[in-house]
Amino acid sequence: MRTYLLRRCLYMLLILLGASLLIFFLFSLTPGDYVDNNLSLSEERKAELREIYGLNKPVFERYVNWMGNLLQGDLGYSLAQQRPVAQLIQDYIWNSFLLAVVATFFTWFIAVIIGVITAYKQYSLFDTLVMIGIFAAMSIPSFFIGLFLIKVFAVDLKILPPGGMITTGSRAEGWDYIVEVMNHMVLPVAVMVLLGVGSLARYLRSNVLEVIKQDYVRTARAKGLKERTVLYRHALKNAMLPAITLVGFELPGLFSGSIIIEKIFNWPGIGQLYLQSFTVRDYPLLMGFTMLLAVLTVIGTLLSDILYHASDPRVKL
Amino acid sequence: MKKQRYIAFVLLLILSLLMAACSSGSSANEPADSSDPGSSNETSAETPSEPQAAALTERLAASDLSKLPDRAKQRDDTIIVSLVNPSGAFTPYFTQVGYDGNVNSVLYTPLVKVDPNGLPVPGLAERWEISEDGLTYTYYLREGLKYSDGSPMTAEDVAFTWTLLHDPSYDGINTVVESRIVGGQDYKDGKADAIEGIQVIDERTISVTLEETNATALTVLGGQILSKAYYGKDYTFGNLDYIKDLHANPITNGPYKLERFIPGQEVRFVANEHYVFGKPKTEYFIYKTSEGDTWQFVETGEVDYGSFTATEDNLERLTGLGFLDLIPSTASNYGYNQLNLERDHLQDKRVRQALTYGLDRQLIYVEARQGAGQLANIPSSPILWSYTEEDINPYPYDPEKAKELLDEAGWVVGADGIREKDGQKLRINYLGSKSESTDIFIAVASENYAEIGVDFVPEQFPDFNTLSAKVRNGDYDMASFSTTIISDPSQGVFRFTKGQTPGYDNPVIDDLYAKSLATSDIEERKAIYHEMFKILNDELPVMFTSYSKQIVAINGRIGGFELNPLSGIGFSLADWELK
Repeated sequence: MRTYLLRRCLYMLLILLGASLLIFFLFSLTPGDYVDNNLSLSEERKAELREIYGLNKPVFERYVNWMGNLLQGDLGYSLAQQRPVAQLIQDYIWNSFLLAVVATFFTWFIAVIIGVITAYKQYSLFDTLVMIGIFAAMSIPSFFIGLFLIKVFAVDLKILPPGGMITTGSRAEGWDYIVEVMNHMVLPVAVMVLLGVGSLARYLRSNVLEVIKQDYVRTARAKGLKERTVLYRHALKNAMLPAITLVGFELPGLFSGSIIIEKIFNWPGIGQLYLQSFTVRDYPLLMGFTMLLAVLTVIGTLLSDILYHASDPRVKL
Repeated sequence: MKKQRYIAFVLLLILSLLMAACSSGSSANEPADSSDPGSSNETSAETPSEPQAAALTERLAASDLSKLPDRAKQRDDTIIVSLVNPSGAFTPYFTQVGYDGNVNSVLYTPLVKVDPNGLPVPGLAERWEISEDGLTYTYYLREGLKYSDGSPMTAEDVAFTWTLLHDPSYDGINTVVESRIVGGQDYKDGKADAIEGIQVIDERTISVTLEETNATALTVLGGQILSKAYYGKDYTFGNLDYIKDLHANPITNGPYKLERFIPGQEVRFVANEHYVFGKPKTEYFIYKTSEGDTWQFVETGEVDYGSFTATEDNLERLTGLGFLDLIPSTASNYGYNQLNLERDHLQDKRVRQALTYGLDRQLIYVEARQGAGQLANIPSSPILWSYTEEDINPYPYDPEKAKELLDEAGWVVGADGIREKDGQKLRINYLGSKSESTDIFIAVASENYAEIGVDFVPEQFPDFNTLSAKVRNGDYDMASFSTTIISDPSQGVFRFTKGQTPGYDNPVIDDLYAKSLATSDIEERKAIYHEMFKILNDELPVMFTSYSKQIVAINGRIGGFELNPLSGIGFSLADWELK
């Protein structure tokens, strides 16, 4: 176990180094740089600015500089936003995380329930209806559902806020603040759950279906256990095993933000900022955030391996 | 089983009906409340099926204030305006995102303001003098000027601000340096400790001497003034990094001062009790960040002000709300199709004219946009004092005329219907952004140009930098752009002066450009610009396309608003009042 972890960590470092090289060179190969973005600059001024920003140096030298700063814990300074990258990420990422973590929780919770029931009552009316609903929800574009919900609940019925994270100008604090944020989260979370629950429920359903036909389930029933116990303790537990690997892969998704949802619901998340920084070629912010996601992805895969081992001792690391 | 299938089918049917019913209700729309240099003007456009409805030509007052949503009614001391996304760099001259400029225009009042027609009016300077030779400007500051911390603002602060921008490590907008103050370059190069041309005469008087006359200098130098005591205390030559730490806590001199910035959500302001024109009438002001749709916020009364493209649909929807005052507005920029003048076939003026005559611009820019545009034929917005239609060729859609011009230029129709000259086909490689308006342009242009025998090859890019890189490399024939906000007509014609547009070199234009900046007399300048416009309208170094039109919607209970597309809401904000 220990040597495994050590070896994995070494690989992780190599992977990250490779990823950083790849990302850096990809970004510097995309046409146009930060200075080009401003059409009203004269060529002389552009040259002056490239000198100030260090954009006139060879790509490799820029990479070494950037990596050197990174190793000292300095993510750099955003050209467009005029603030340190680390601080910017701090400001926005937790808003995205809050939304994602709540949505993921509900997605899994609902998907597990649906998965089990639909598998248990395969081909029943409930199964058919739920599957239709799920496919419908999956196939409608998120911006449509989002705008539709806003129209119904915020504009027409006026029972939920139309967007944002707090009511504009609100001076609520403490508990009132929490209630306000929860209120604003209802619609975006609902859309994210609607979109995400389908595939997961399908996945769990097929797993449960497979497990439910196994001998040990029949044995459990034969022992006279209650149906509920059979289903949730014996069948579900085993059906969940393959799904556990998915948990690790969800990790980067929790932090990456959702560009469309954030835009529709005016949520102050990082997805927006990221897209914006790409359009203006704000390299420090782009690199800083992409690397953060790379780190999270690598950690996520490690986590899912460990989880898998922990939940299923048959799996050797 | 059969029954279940049936139920499922009915459910699906209901769902699809539901979708069809509401898809018309929620269209997205971008606010145009910014001067962000990178953002292209996107307009939502649909093919018109009805004849032009009455467009908004003058201010339309709210019809029914009783429809005001409760959310707005309950707010009695705060005005909220939406803004795309300020980044938090609240120091004038040090912003990189256009939206921070909007914030700064609330925090600061410049020495010289620009009125809705682009003419200078007194701001924090009560008057100014320009010497006989047009080289020395003297600004007289108002009495009792104070910064938001109560400290006095003097001519020293003005001198400091100008000097600071000449620092070699300064990376912001460069217009002050480009005004060429005497001794400015020496300071920048480290050869002098101070800028020779700047003279502080007394506490409230400062003069500045330029190396050459420049009519824009009055407003460029008469801009927003930073506090020397605050922004200057850590200044050492060649290092401006310390300013970055001051962005979040500005000391300002405008109608409002910063209360709190919540990234991605709001910028909160509170009335500045030290404001020289008196404390504003409304205690609080908020810029609400809204990246996407602003409709929902205007409809629910969460924001009091929004700007929408002037389509008929939008007008109808806004009028229907009843509680909004609607004001028509034309942007102070212009759209154009850049032509690659380094390519042989486009060097011929007749070909450029033919391409303009042969394109139904009215259909593309006005009708397909439901009236949210006006055709442009000169590089000046209709709202600027320099605008004219006298002796200007409107280039109406005329395929016959276009064919004639192409025949004249020696391009003959070949066997496949495409014109040829010296064995070369007349082909236009077009580059455009990935947007609905470009889709329309391409659809119409393909048809129009096929008719006059031009092979039109369009290509679209979702990413602006990729597009502009391709244009810079000369790998195109025609590409669509629009300029940034133009507050002085010289900015609109600058691109046609020597060396700015590759392949275009007209000494007469260069000469007129210099002359237009050499005098501050508006009538004299007008005459010079009209002359230039006439030449540019005839030679068409670029194809002028359109001016975009907006509807400004403001809550009917707010009084004191004055539209100023050149300076934004900062111009009249201090007078906004909740009734």
